[in-house]
Amino acid sequence: MTASALTRPGERDRLIVKLGEIDWRLTAVLCLLAGAGTLMLYSIAGGHWNPWAAQHVALFSVFLLLMIALAVTDLRVWFVVAYPTYVVGLLLLMAVMVVGHSALGAARWLKIGPIHLQPSEIMKIGLVLALARFYHGISAKEAQLSWKLLFPVAMIAAPVALVLKQPDLGTGILLAATGLLIMMLAGLSLRLILAGTAAAAVATPAFFYLVLKGHLLKGYQATRFMTFIKPDADPSGAGYHILQAKIALGSGGILGRGYGLGSQSQLNFLPEKQTDFIFATLAEEFGFLGCVSILVLYAAAILIAIRIAATSHSHFGRLSAAGVTATFALYVLINGAMVMGLAPVVGVPMPLLSFGGTVMLTVMVGFGLVQSVRVHRYTEVARATGALV
Amino acid sequence: MTEPAIFYNEVNERQAVFNRRAVVMGGLATLGLTALGARLVQLQIIENSRYTTLSASNQYNFRVVPPPRGLILDRNGVALASNRPSFRLLLLKDEVVDPAATLDAASQLIPISAQHRREVLRDIDEGPKFIPVAIADDLSWEEFARINVRNPELPGLQADMNEIRVYPYGGAFAHVIGYVSKVTAAELKAQGPNPDPLLLNPGFRIGQQGVEKALDQQLRGKAGGKKVEVNAKGRVVKEDPAGDIRPVPGEPVVLNLDADIQNRALEVFGEESGAAVMMDCKTGEVLCLMSAPSFDANQFVKGVPQAVYQELANYERKPLFNKALTANYPPGSTFKTMVALTALENGVPPSRTYTCAGSWSWGGRVWHCDKAHGTLDLKGGIAQSCDIYFYQLALSLGPDPIAKIARMFGLGGTFNILIPGQKPGLIPDTAYKAKNFPNDPVWHPGETPSMGIGQGYVSVNALQLCVMCSRIANGQRALQPKLIHSVGGVIQGLPAPEPDLAVDPAHLAFIRDAMAAVVTSGTAAGVPKLDLGPIAWAGKTGTAQAHSYAGGRGAHGATGAWADRDHSWFIAFAPADDPRYAMSALVEHGGFGAEAAAPRAREIMRVALLKDPIVRARIEQPIPLQNAPAQPPAATARPAAQPPAAPSTPAAQPT
Repeated sequence: MTASALTRPGERDRLIVKLGEIDWRLTAVLCLLAGAGTLMLYSIAGGHWNPWAAQHVALFSVFLLLMIALAVTDLRVWFVVAYPTYVVGLLLLMAVMVVGHSALGAARWLKIGPIHLQPSEIMKIGLVLALARFYHGISAKEAQLSWKLLFPVAMIAAPVALVLKQPDLGTGILLAATGLLIMMLAGLSLRLILAGTAAAAVATPAFFYLVLKGHLLKGYQATRFMTFIKPDADPSGAGYHILQAKIALGSGGILGRGYGLGSQSQLNFLPEKQTDFIFATLAEEFGFLGCVSILVLYAAAILIAIRIAATSHSHFGRLSAAGVTATFALYVLINGAMVMGLAPVVGVPMPLLSFGGTVMLTVMVGFGLVQSVRVHRYTEVARATGALV
Repeated sequence: MTEPAIFYNEVNERQAVFNRRAVVMGGLATLGLTALGARLVQLQIIENSRYTTLSASNQYNFRVVPPPRGLILDRNGVALASNRPSFRLLLLKDEVVDPAATLDAASQLIPISAQHRREVLRDIDEGPKFIPVAIADDLSWEEFARINVRNPELPGLQADMNEIRVYPYGGAFAHVIGYVSKVTAAELKAQGPNPDPLLLNPGFRIGQQGVEKALDQQLRGKAGGKKVEVNAKGRVVKEDPAGDIRPVPGEPVVLNLDADIQNRALEVFGEESGAAVMMDCKTGEVLCLMSAPSFDANQFVKGVPQAVYQELANYERKPLFNKALTANYPPGSTFKTMVALTALENGVPPSRTYTCAGSWSWGGRVWHCDKAHGTLDLKGGIAQSCDIYFYQLALSLGPDPIAKIARMFGLGGTFNILIPGQKPGLIPDTAYKAKNFPNDPVWHPGETPSMGIGQGYVSVNALQLCVMCSRIANGQRALQPKLIHSVGGVIQGLPAPEPDLAVDPAHLAFIRDAMAAVVTSGTAAGVPKLDLGPIAWAGKTGTAQAHSYAGGRGAHGATGAWADRDHSWFIAFAPADDPRYAMSALVEHGGFGAEAAAPRAREIMRVALLKDPIVRARIEQPIPLQNAPAQPPAATARPAAQPPAAPSTPAAQPT
């Protein structure tokens, strides 16, 4: 019934219809994840709303409204702002090089009045939009293998290079991986993908070797990398994060130690317990069952979003929703692997669970885009102009 | 809006590729999440117990609770070393940013001298970060209360109570017992990379010298633990009394020493330098092992000020030195007992006479004696301590037989008394000469007369002479000195009775008889008698030349500068008729044996005798009432006729 309403241009533009078309299952999953984050932040603070839980839930509420507002925003508007967003993001990344504020030795912030702006977050959306728009305009053949692919490669390389220069390895990996995934989804030659995979298989040992020899990575990144390879070598030094996270996870057992009873997080043995390592806190207090529940929620969010992407009638919609989903999935997988000692600690938070407004904003804007793709799944987007039809 | 068919087809193709690949992407994401789940199975289910242990070791910590150090008691249970409580002020290094400012704050509450302040700041610099530093010990109750009241505004300061070692008799036992002091950085290093955490405790003291050092491990005990929950910074969040581990107190050590005898010994030595050793000559128990002058061991517990230490170290009478064990002196005439015994053992009849004219020319030089003694037999030679008699007697025997007997009686040897520092000294013989004098390996006859009067190469310590005297007095067994009675209730050193001495008991009886004559008619006849009724003693004087008199430096006896005078020796046993106590006394540079050492030996011996109930019973025999039936004396007194060589009876323990 609704589908038929959506197919009628006049009918589908009504706000009430659009609101009804928002995927409320996905919204519910996001709310559950943010709720779990709030629960954990309340526990870590020793059973207090301050300093984290209250802010977390307040920000999420605001961003949820923002997501709904973005969901009903016409997909063609997204299409129009795609390149400008990318360009603004790129300019801000350059600006950060010059006048950025540093935290932990990396210049990532721009301070505009009271607002702390992290351009790399804008770029996470901007890159997805720009690539989706670009691929929207070229044929399947061109997307497979042609000189035009130099454009997306450059579009990915520019922000990645700027972000790595900050240096912010986590975001760099995230941007590069998201960009490559979009290229593949858009139809990159399978042969090229296989060749690239083979090349990566060869390059990885070479990379390890160069890092071990002290080239390539800068100070703390090299240390983190070494720490990842051999975390027990210096348990009170650089290996501390990984070891303490593993202790928190492992001691949780099947049912966990009980809400508010995780000694690793409550007694501050766990570093970054409210941000990057919040999953370890959850694992300690709620155990294996709690962890698996959260992973199932993430899986649900990812699969729903992919399905939304697949049902879109426009290539722009497909690729942008899939791009956001890829970013989200990469967040979850990288953070999970990092917390569980399967990947080096690269400073990627667990989306919606970790405390931190910037990443939550990015994720909720991204899901606003995904929802918009769903709401406007029958909307046709013109190829090159992006003019509103 | 309608679209051209061709256009639609192309879109469809792009969609088909996308959909296939989106499914792959969804599958990969699910696979990744499943891999995370598998990792969780590994960490949370398979390795759960390992991480639970690690988590608990993070969360809980044991704070060291020092054990009370074991007491050191004398034979009657009198504490020679014990512990007393002390309020102290600690600086918690991990909470203090600016130690100098914290010390300033502390000095508002208690006096801290500039010198002490420097020491504390040095300790703070040198010690491990997580170990508190004691700023002050022995706070008064008012100071302790003042600090506790203001504690909230004094971060990094904490007042608590600990135990401090105390030596109630100050110096009397300082050389035997030693003392405890702060663990130095060097000692800590010697413990290896993971020292006993107890050693890092700010109140901990380690045994230095004597019993405190020799039995440090047993006295130390085992540290307990206070179970506390700590956060990542190590700050205590919560205590868990149920999980506490109680400290195991150090084991008490009981010595054979008698505090009364030893205290009297130190007292009678006064400012004199020397040593006094007494043994029970039936059991070998060491009743007194005193070195004078002494020092207050309590000063070392808190850290002796440098100036005080320098004064002690530089004083010419060497108070830090245990003269009973570590200092060797020529035995002088006390050695004549050994020469005489050698003569008897080698078939020399006691009736052999030599004539003393005050000097004797032999071997191209003149040998002197104190006076012209006339013609003496062996007993007279001992009693009068005639050098000219013993020059000639030793010459007729040669050095090797004399050395053999002297060593049999413990001279030149060390004993298993468990405390460190014994120096064996030297009993020379031809083999010694051959080995140690490659340029002149032959024993010259001219070296024998000196040995015969306990001079020349002969050097011994006070413990050895006491052992010698107790073996003479025992008359049968090669007694070993036993200093430590028990450790933690376990009796120490109860081996089979010592082997018999390989000498004729009758010859020892002769020596004892001659020693009795020393105090009745010989060189010590001028020493006040014991004044203990029927109880008499026997002894032998020794006046040992500390160095050559050549160049007019010193003369025989107590003339000249202190350091030039002769050493004064006296060995004695009592009761003379049934020996129980044997002793040696040395007054360094005290002059004649009968003048310095013997009167002091008398005082010490009297204390031992008067504490002995059997001796007391013999002294305090009631006078039979006129009308009452006469009681045979033997009914109240121990039979005096008991042969001295008889084995000891356990009932004869002094108490």
